[in-house]
Amino acid sequence: SSPQDQYEMYSVEMEKQGNGAMDVKIKKKKTNKAAKKKEKLESMKKEMDVVSGGSRTGVALAGEILLRDGPNELKPPKGTPEYVKFARQLAGGLQCLMWVAAAICLIAFGIQCGQGDLTSADNLYLAIALIAVVVVTGCFGYYQEFKSTNIIASFKNLVPQQATVIRDGDKFQINANQLVVGDLVEIKGGDRVPADIRIITAQGCKVDNSSLTGESEPQTRAPECTHESPLETRNIAFFSTMCLEGTATGIIVNTGDRTIIGRIASLASGVENEKTPIAIEIEHFVDIIAGLAIFFGGTFFVVAMVIGYPFLKAMVFFMAIVVAYVPEGLLATVTVCLSLTAKRLARKNCVVKNLEAVETLGSTSVICSDKTGTLTQNRMTVSHLWFDNQIHTADTTEDQSGQSFDQSSETWRALCKIVSLCNRAFFKSGQDNVPVPKRIVIGDASETALLKFSEITLGNVMEYRERCKKACEIPFNSTNKFQLSIHELEDPRDPRYLLVMKGAPERILERCATIMIKGQELPLDEQWKEAFQTAYMDLGGLGERVLGFCHLYLDPGQFPRGFAFDTEDMNFPTSGLCFAGLISMIDPPRATVPDAVMKCRTAGIRVIMVTGDHPITAKAIAASVGIISEGSETVEDIAARMRIPVEQVNKEARACVVNGGQLKDMETEELVEILKMHPEMVFARTSPQQKLIIVESCQKLGAIVAVTGDGVNDSPALKKADIGVAMGIAGSDAAKNAADMILLDDNFASIVTGVEQGRLIFDNLKKSIAYTLTKNIPELTPYLIYITVSVPLPLGCITILFIELCTDIFPSVSLAYEKAESDIMHLKPRNPRRDRLVNEALAVYSYFQIGAIQSFAGFTDYFTAMAQEGWFPLLCVGLRAQWENDHLQDLQDSYGQEWTFGQRLYQEYTCYTVFFISIEMCQISDVLIRKTRRLSVFQQGFFRNKILVIAIVFQLCLGCFLCYCPGMPNIFNFMPIRFQWWLVPLPYGILIFVYDEIRKLGVRRHPGSWWDKELYY
Amino acid sequence: PSPMARGKAKEGDGNWKKFIWNSEKKEFLGRTGGSWFKILLFYLIFYGCLAGIFIGTIQVMLLTISEYEPKYQDRVAPPGLTVVPQVLKTEVSFSISDPKTYEEYVEGLNRFLKNYDNSQQTDEMIFDDCPGAFNNAQGQKKVCRFRREWLENCSGILDSSYGYKDGKPCVVVKLNRILGFKPKAIIPRKCCKNVDKIGTVEYYGLGGYAGFPLQYYPYYGKLLQPKYLQPLMAVQFTNLTYDTEVRVECKVYGENIHYSDKDRFQGRFEVKFDIKSS
Repeated sequence: SSPQDQYEMYSVEMEKQGNGAMDVKIKKKKTNKAAKKKEKLESMKKEMDVVSGGSRTGVALAGEILLRDGPNELKPPKGTPEYVKFARQLAGGLQCLMWVAAAICLIAFGIQCGQGDLTSADNLYLAIALIAVVVVTGCFGYYQEFKSTNIIASFKNLVPQQATVIRDGDKFQINANQLVVGDLVEIKGGDRVPADIRIITAQGCKVDNSSLTGESEPQTRAPECTHESPLETRNIAFFSTMCLEGTATGIIVNTGDRTIIGRIASLASGVENEKTPIAIEIEHFVDIIAGLAIFFGGTFFVVAMVIGYPFLKAMVFFMAIVVAYVPEGLLATVTVCLSLTAKRLARKNCVVKNLEAVETLGSTSVICSDKTGTLTQNRMTVSHLWFDNQIHTADTTEDQSGQSFDQSSETWRALCKIVSLCNRAFFKSGQDNVPVPKRIVIGDASETALLKFSEITLGNVMEYRERCKKACEIPFNSTNKFQLSIHELEDPRDPRYLLVMKGAPERILERCATIMIKGQELPLDEQWKEAFQTAYMDLGGLGERVLGFCHLYLDPGQFPRGFAFDTEDMNFPTSGLCFAGLISMIDPPRATVPDAVMKCRTAGIRVIMVTGDHPITAKAIAASVGIISEGSETVEDIAARMRIPVEQVNKEARACVVNGGQLKDMETEELVEILKMHPEMVFARTSPQQKLIIVESCQKLGAIVAVTGDGVNDSPALKKADIGVAMGIAGSDAAKNAADMILLDDNFASIVTGVEQGRLIFDNLKKSIAYTLTKNIPELTPYLIYITVSVPLPLGCITILFIELCTDIFPSVSLAYEKAESDIMHLKPRNPRRDRLVNEALAVYSYFQIGAIQSFAGFTDYFTAMAQEGWFPLLCVGLRAQWENDHLQDLQDSYGQEWTFGQRLYQEYTCYTVFFISIEMCQISDVLIRKTRRLSVFQQGFFRNKILVIAIVFQLCLGCFLCYCPGMPNIFNFMPIRFQWWLVPLPYGILIFVYDEIRKLGVRRHPGSWWDKELYY
Repeated sequence: PSPMARGKAKEGDGNWKKFIWNSEKKEFLGRTGGSWFKILLFYLIFYGCLAGIFIGTIQVMLLTISEYEPKYQDRVAPPGLTVVPQVLKTEVSFSISDPKTYEEYVEGLNRFLKNYDNSQQTDEMIFDDCPGAFNNAQGQKKVCRFRREWLENCSGILDSSYGYKDGKPCVVVKLNRILGFKPKAIIPRKCCKNVDKIGTVEYYGLGGYAGFPLQYYPYYGKLLQPKYLQPLMAVQFTNLTYDTEVRVECKVYGENIHYSDKDRFQGRFEVKFDIKSS
């Protein structure tokens, strides 16, 4: 069976134990059968039992328990020990090869020492250099990893949470991490629940369990036990959930990692992380390189042995070929390029945890996005009003920059009064300087929306409420479905009381006898009722939450000042009221989202909405942000339009809204089929578990899936996804831990920015790698020629290391700053199976064409330097044995001059340097041609990439420094060389440039031709 | 696993054989015959052109170089000093009583001095006697004779073992040839370092003169003086301390002779003697 069926599932079982503590058994289940999957997924809904433990604690006892249980906080998931992480950096594929090479050098040096030859410490130097390279690149990689883990750690350093605890009968404010089992704590609206607590008393307490169970509706908490399962029962409030309103007291039953959320968090960390495509690509590529290096080295080892070199010498050849062929600087280049992009993304509010995720983002073909907070602003906002028989649109933009409606009507003034007064929400104090939309409000979402709305349109609501003293109030409850309050009037001379009421529109309408139109109270006849119905349907159809508002001025004779209103008996009229209007609210989409969705569409990325919300709301938001595009219809829409039953619709519908209930009864294959059939999908009323199924189904279609999530229960889906995106503001720590990327502003548009950057870095990495690979051939050929033709060695190992790790790093990194050649957001996402990072064309073109030209440049310069010093090319052939004989002090050159060994050695170093400079000159040409793959460099602009220009200048300066710094000959085998030897490779550099321009011209002019297929990488 | 890994897993099994020879599409290593032909033709032309350019540039470069004198001599000058016999680690160790132990050195000297045999220097068209005058006439490319017998005890004529059988080893020293190099001032030569152990040192050369005679310079190169013989000096250590390691460093003195810390044979040489008396 294919490996995608193999994934790990966990179920948690907790058992009662005599001492009242809880025992958790975590079972790790593996399954290969797709049929079992759903069942297993269901088992992720944990079955747990909670039994209260301990009694109320005193201060002293609390200290003891704290010692026993440890602080009340989630332990960070156990990371790999630091030294293992470091060791892993030192033991990659290439690194191992380098270790082997270093070992060979040391052995060679040891044997030479043993033979008493102390003259040549070259092998020792080389071994040290190789080890240094491995260690330095290892440190670099470790540092990168360390830094990215630090970013995550910084998320955890939140302000320490405070909790109100009652110990020994006194109230204390202590840090929540000091709480212990048995403590009596108080929570109120706006608090985060400090531990798992069993509620003892509660007044209208509601909690938001969405991060735990995915239910977005506030849940009531009360002392009575309503269910066996702790997740279902009402008398347990969970650690880290929010208390939205009301107050409660409770006894702590679990703290820290023993809390339910703690267990789930530790479960999620057990799901194996998926390897990102680029990590696989790079590993794959490194394996090939290492394999080829060993193959080449082995071949020439055998050749050398057959030719008759001693074993030791052959081993050193092997080592040299490995050093020459392995692109030592590649991993560093890739890491730097990726981290540059990661930094760029961080500036745009995407923090990337795994560097490789940057690139994965670029190949994303499906984004499964949350609605709340990601696509929307995550705040209820008044969007429409209906009064005076007209629908008015309110301003829903984040910064209140939109158009407002006509506010001159009398009706509006009355409606406004009701909105302000019939509202229990209030601003937290001390926020006078904060802009209204950002102020913190205590109260539920719709009341908050109404409060902010009236604050913006009216101004100081709190003061207004102060002036209109509240005489009595009935809060909203589910049986009445209305909220009512009675106020004194603003004008102290007016003795009347004002009764204001809001609630479900149909209930409000029932209680009304009149309707206010343009300030006039008109009888509420059938015509108005119909008008009301139409408006109500219209607003409801937009997926908005609609509230009705009405009022009544009480007769001052019947209700004089100081009248004792009784909320139980309702000794005041609650019918025959005057209907003022409807107000509808929605969590409006973020302003940037429609554009971002459009961008995704042009970029060939499907956006799928997955939400726990109502299908209607979900669909409305999806339509308004463009996930369901204009003109697309669901099957239901078509049915409604054609007035036929849903089953009879046989026309293909582009859009589809699936809700969680339907999803539950669906087979995986069915879901895959639906995903295939409908390009525009919305999943509503889904649970986080179903999110996992959706992600898997998308992956089955071969898509690279990005998933957004914030709750703890999203973590499995986040891990399962090719790239998990957690929300920085709303996200739980568990989600952040599981994710590859964190959106600091929770904004969907940031994902699109990420996609764009990811695609760009993929293109640029390709260029960087092509550049880096090219020089491996001119590094390798000197050895091949040296061994087979026996010329004096043209290029030394240490010089190669200098090219790889010193001069060429900066230019290859500078390619990461290259601008895109075309509008990359108009292309389809790359097919990870076909469009590889390093493909055959790239390797062949770099190695056998550009690399070959560079080799010829190097040899031309080498033979020039040799000939001008007295060694003609033909004499060099077969000269190696004599040349390297350190007892031969009178070797004759082409003119009959006699050279000592020392003189020959310096001549050899001159050759190294000349070859080095040749490679450098050609690489400058190489970096220029790599700026583009298809366009002409003239179209791209030579100097647009400033960093690249600086890199070239830097490369030249470094080359000069290495050549002309005193002391170099004896330390690093660089000799000062003549100026004309810098110029010898120039024609080849120009050749490279011209040849590549011709290649690009051919590719542009004849797409699909043989030329394009063979030479476009 | 991501789709990548899945794709690979599917393709991975048994596709190797298909990759090498795909009988359906008649593909060898992923290419059809025609495709291979095209790509190989392309590379043939490509490398043909490259090789052409390479050979062309090398030829052009060689045109700029004179056959008679090298363009630069900064790496070869100042001259090095060569000592014969040339032995491993310049360590001369033998025992007087066993001829086999010094056979190698004697052979080396014989081989080297063979060129200096009188029979090799008979051609009057090439050789000249250079009667002590500085030979600097233009166009004069004759080679000065250097007679082997001038080396006296070290010539191998009087003593075929070059003094090795008596424990008085000879070494022959030459200044490396550098085209156009004229040593300035007279060149005495001296051996030094732990003088007490070295004892007396005999020098043989042209007219018993301890130096390289200047009339042999300069050297005009292989083309003009294919049989050039550079002047030699023989050094005989007549009173070396036996049964101990004696290190000898010899230096040539002259105005344009320089020494280098790194090259131990530039203007000097070092020999280690280890003679066993038994």
